[in-house]
Amino acid sequence: MFYIYLAILAIVLALTVWVLFDTKKLSLQVTAAMVIVPLLLRLLMIK
Amino acid sequence: MSQEFLLFILMVGVFAAGCFALKWPVSVSMLLAAVAGALAGGVQNPIRHLVEGTFGYVDTILTIATAMMFMTGFRDSGALEALTAAVIRKFNKLPGLLMILLTFVIMVPGMITGSSTASVLTAGAVVAPMFASMGMSALDSGALISIAAILGMIAPPVNIPAMIIGGGIDMPYVGFEIPLILLTFPLAIAFAFWFGWRNVRKVDRSKVVESLDFSALNQYGAWRLFSPLILIFVLMILDKTVPRVFGLGMPLIFLLGTALTWVTGKRFEILKSAKKAIEDVLPVLGILVGVGMFIQIMTATGVRGFIVVNALSVPPALLYVMIAVSIPLFGAISAFGSSSVLGVPFMLALLGKDQIIAAASLSLIAALGDFMPPTALAAIFAARVVGLEKYGGVLKKLVVPGLIIAVYGILFILFSKQIRALY
Amino acid sequence: MQKHTISAIICLAGALVAAAIAGASFLAMRKPDLIVRGPGVTDVKMLSDWFPGLKGTPGDTEVYILKGADDGASMLVLGGTHPNEPAGHIAAIMLIENAQPKSGTLYVIPRANASGFTANDPQEGAPQSFTIQTPNGPRVFRYGSRATNPIHQWPDPNVYIHASSGQTLSGSETRNLNRGYPGRPDGTLTERVCYGIVQLIKKENVTITVDLHEASPEYPVINAIVAHPKAMQLASDMVLGLEMQDIKISLEPSPVNLRGLTHRELGDFTDTLPVLMETANASQGRLRGRTDEALVLTGKDKWYVRAEKLGRLYVPYDEKGHPLEERVGRHVTAISELMNSWNLEHPEKPLEFEGLPGYEDFLTKGIGVFLLPLPAKN
Repeated sequence: MFYIYLAILAIVLALTVWVLFDTKKLSLQVTAAMVIVPLLLRLLMIK
Repeated sequence: MSQEFLLFILMVGVFAAGCFALKWPVSVSMLLAAVAGALAGGVQNPIRHLVEGTFGYVDTILTIATAMMFMTGFRDSGALEALTAAVIRKFNKLPGLLMILLTFVIMVPGMITGSSTASVLTAGAVVAPMFASMGMSALDSGALISIAAILGMIAPPVNIPAMIIGGGIDMPYVGFEIPLILLTFPLAIAFAFWFGWRNVRKVDRSKVVESLDFSALNQYGAWRLFSPLILIFVLMILDKTVPRVFGLGMPLIFLLGTALTWVTGKRFEILKSAKKAIEDVLPVLGILVGVGMFIQIMTATGVRGFIVVNALSVPPALLYVMIAVSIPLFGAISAFGSSSVLGVPFMLALLGKDQIIAAASLSLIAALGDFMPPTALAAIFAARVVGLEKYGGVLKKLVVPGLIIAVYGILFILFSKQIRALY
Repeated sequence: MQKHTISAIICLAGALVAAAIAGASFLAMRKPDLIVRGPGVTDVKMLSDWFPGLKGTPGDTEVYILKGADDGASMLVLGGTHPNEPAGHIAAIMLIENAQPKSGTLYVIPRANASGFTANDPQEGAPQSFTIQTPNGPRVFRYGSRATNPIHQWPDPNVYIHASSGQTLSGSETRNLNRGYPGRPDGTLTERVCYGIVQLIKKENVTITVDLHEASPEYPVINAIVAHPKAMQLASDMVLGLEMQDIKISLEPSPVNLRGLTHRELGDFTDTLPVLMETANASQGRLRGRTDEALVLTGKDKWYVRAEKLGRLYVPYDEKGHPLEERVGRHVTAISELMNSWNLEHPEKPLEFEGLPGYEDFLTKGIGVFLLPLPAKN
């Protein structure tokens, strides 16, 4: 289950990065960057 | 004036200035308020603290993100519209019964998962178009969906705030079913009538059915089209009843449902649909991340202790007022957080009452936190599923119901022993 | 390149920098604090020696063995069941570095939830470590999370169902070591650690098990010993012994309906006499103010002083706080008294240890003088 959840997290992270590069709204870009931080650290199994 | 009070003013001030004066998004304003608090409060290693705070919500982020992906897929497959059409055609003649029925339908995912967001984004999103075609305004329907969602989160079998409060005083989550039913079901019926009845009676229902689109329903058939929703409900129930075999957890259940929407209805691009879902929900995810940082800094600097001890400082007569005010207010940052940080100390102050009923009532009051901006998860998502850009109007509609719920909860605490004697 | 692509790159770079800085700090938590083998330590094993299912997992943890020359009874001391309750961890280290066995065997697990020592609870603002000054220089100890690190056990279910009783608790309790007993060999990491500890108790026929904890000052069970019915006599003798030394401690029976805890399940599932002890730790409380190393070490907190005046606490609280010396002193002295109580009733199977500092020693000399120098770095 652990790795399935890491995979789900990777999907959400990838979609967030896609939105970051696709949107033209700076506020949404900053928000995306904020959300990326915890998702990335969990995906790398650091925290 | 204590240093903590000044820090609190600074953090709230930066947040308000960012949000209202500079029109930054809530997430960014929260981030800046946390940064200001960390710097002014002399927190060591502030970046570690800011990032660590966000981890309180990683699981919630996954649940919300996947739930939104599911709803978007369900809509894009044409199933959402078709479901509305089918239900309205069937129950058009019995609007009162339908109102109550739909209110309970919204509650079900919350009852099973303990999450008001799950309620709003699944059943709430399904029911919203039905409310609309029955003649309810978007505001009324948004308000009723939010209320049903938080009542669902509190109704048994799963009530996470009650588990958190119980856990804080080593009380197992046993014997909560009856008090929680007494706390939630009468309110659900009352609010269904309050918001539903007057709207529904005004509409000329003969025209409603004609305006519905049955094309997807006729093309794919109900079973196939609605199978993703059925799958989700079945998996949620299995997750609760046989957790050792089917303990998949909400995010995985939603993801499986999303995958199914791809093959059961109209063809759509699943990746684009999922990306759209994340784009729509990102501001809310950002708020959670910002709030996580905010709480971590409040705790590290002692502002949290300042708030909790001051809330406990009122004379006994005002204790109940303080419970009704402070728990929902602190719930502005998270209903679960409020249950732990304030719910547990208040529970300890209520040790003379019937413990189970007191904890159950506190959990109901804590759930009101999901109405409280800036997070206001129940209201934000309810506004979204009824198609409103801003949730302010829905919030206004929730003020009086919120007060009624708080008073109802307080009455249960006051008369806990008498209520216990009834069953 | 388009303008929004540039701003996206800048935002992503910012996120990566923040993640890198925070990540380095989180990774540093993986390095355990150093514990020195005291003169009484005869062997150091791993918990996986009793339950191989733990080998190579983050739940495997050291078991220090102090075996006396003469046979006698045995005692297992668990420190760090909750790594955010430092007095338990440090008291266990005090035994390892100071106790000298005469008769009987002492097993000490200073990091019962080793995984919990590698992270902090989010939104608690806790320090990652605290430093105790010793005559030989500073020694640094980890301040961890109440529960198993989610990196090692994730995701939590919505609701935690205790395996042997079916009791339900909030999902995050799945990672709470002291809700998982008697554990399962094929369960979660947390349950496997519980199972490993139970195997140790069974295979070594441990006579007495002491689980060292701390509680927040607003929590009713504090400065207390909680005992399983079959350990009640032993615990009440110990309470009398402590009262002779003017140490106030309350005796609580283990609640029958609260499952998964050491003082309940170890008594029900093994032959050991289990007790659990609590001291007053402000740094884990909900009413605390500024949360930092100083709070961990001194317990001085103005909001707790105010809460005491409001009658909200279950321990006396004034400007002097509850320093770590006092809390560790209570635990170590209570363990000595438990041994005394045992020996009075069972002279034929004694449990005798020397070298343990007394309560007054801790209050007057501090903790540092009882910590051994670290081995020189190569």
